[in-house]
Amino acid sequence: MLVNSIDLPARTNASATLAMLLADSRLPAGAHVSSNGVEAGLRRGLDPGEIADYMRARMATVVRVEAGAAVIARHLTEHGPLSAAGIVIDRLGDLEIEWAARTPSPALRDIAIALGAGLARIGQRIWPQTAEVLRTRPLPRPIVLGIIAAGAGIGPDDLVRLVAYDDAQTVAAAVLKLEPTDPIRVTEWVLDACAAIEGSVSELSRLTRTEALPAAGAPLIEDWAEVQSLLPRRLFRA
Amino acid sequence: MPEFPPSERALRLGVAGPVGTGKSSLIALICRALADEIRIGVITNDIYTDEDARLLRSAGVLDPDRIRSVETGACPHTAIRDDVTANLQAVERLEGDYFPLDLVLVESGGDNLTATFSPALIDAQIFVLDVAGGGDVARKGGPGIARADLLVVNKTDLAEYVGVDVELMVADATEAREGGPVLALSRRDESSIARLRQWLLSLLSDHRAGAHEPQDPGPMAPHFHADEDGGYVHSHESADDAHDHRHEPV
Repeated sequence: MLVNSIDLPARTNASATLAMLLADSRLPAGAHVSSNGVEAGLRRGLDPGEIADYMRARMATVVRVEAGAAVIARHLTEHGPLSAAGIVIDRLGDLEIEWAARTPSPALRDIAIALGAGLARIGQRIWPQTAEVLRTRPLPRPIVLGIIAAGAGIGPDDLVRLVAYDDAQTVAAAVLKLEPTDPIRVTEWVLDACAAIEGSVSELSRLTRTEALPAAGAPLIEDWAEVQSLLPRRLFRA
Repeated sequence: MPEFPPSERALRLGVAGPVGTGKSSLIALICRALADEIRIGVITNDIYTDEDARLLRSAGVLDPDRIRSVETGACPHTAIRDDVTANLQAVERLEGDYFPLDLVLVESGGDNLTATFSPALIDAQIFVLDVAGGGDVARKGGPGIARADLLVVNKTDLAEYVGVDVELMVADATEAREGGPVLALSRRDESSIARLRQWLLSLLSDHRAGAHEPQDPGPMAPHFHADEDGGYVHSHESADDAHDHRHEPV
């Protein structure tokens, strides 16, 4: 672990509990401003009946990049040399460059930094051992999640599932505001999307090297993210 | 992230109230009245993009970069109350960029009568009504009307056109607020602007002296329970809370 546990609160939580906390939309992290691009998608002709496909397409593409970045950030933080935050920060910087190269939309990178900052506020307070790394500069959400996972004790497989679930649920919550439909049906779509990535959880959770970060681009998702950032009278920022 | 002790950092003042009551123009008015004397920054909360920020920037009352917008998406009340993350980040960044500021005004997205700011975000709040919204609105009450630090009854110059008795509306509001301050305001009435200025400067000096304690107006209007001691006003923090909080003898 990067920082010694001096003056840390004596609190033990299971990896699953921590993942539930971080995936809960009621967490005060400012994440309710994002629709994961579905608002722009709907305006650009995505049929509300195709939302389940949109969630699954994200699982096959951007979610792999996000989850991979989170897992690698967790690994780099957890296995960084003791009392050498500088080295860990440099390595996370390299990871951010690789993540950015696989996230060509500036709008997607912007919202990831904004959401990462909200999460970093929580991380620094609740897990002070993450503060030395988190307070250096704003980092994208998946990397912040990985740092928190290392500090708090979230296993790599739970971390992948957290990123996947959060991605689909963000779309689901936005759809219910934008194109209200049977909410139980939408909940099923979330589970279908999570099931679609389950077969990759093991592979993604074993990533350790920055260069191995998946490169699974999705031009339409990138395009909708850009459209969303310029959308007049939008309900969601992203 | 810069962090200053509350009395050294800017006074954070929220401006809430229903759509169209004049929150943005009140902020412009405050900037015009005080920008020569104190250092001001503004954060606007917009449901759709950054309409209010642009309006204020074009009013030319402040350096445009000192007016920042936060997009609250579908949840304008959430962003000022239960998840203040985006606003707090914007306020801290603005305070950091222009340190030291004296006053940061945070304008809520125009919502409804029940939306109020969390004390985790602001030190004090103004709730804005206007005469055109109807003379009876103040009497109906609500957390902002009853317990914001200041209630502004705006656009009093329009009263004669909409058939509202300003004095009665102010009296109703004062009663709903149990004597708390109410300001009848018009941007065409210099004496009302002077009273706004005076209220603000006195709040600022209390804040600097550490004598001002942020209060939560609460999510609901208080209601009356008669009991052996003659009755209490219950101010509910949340609907399912036990009655173990703020009890004010009547």
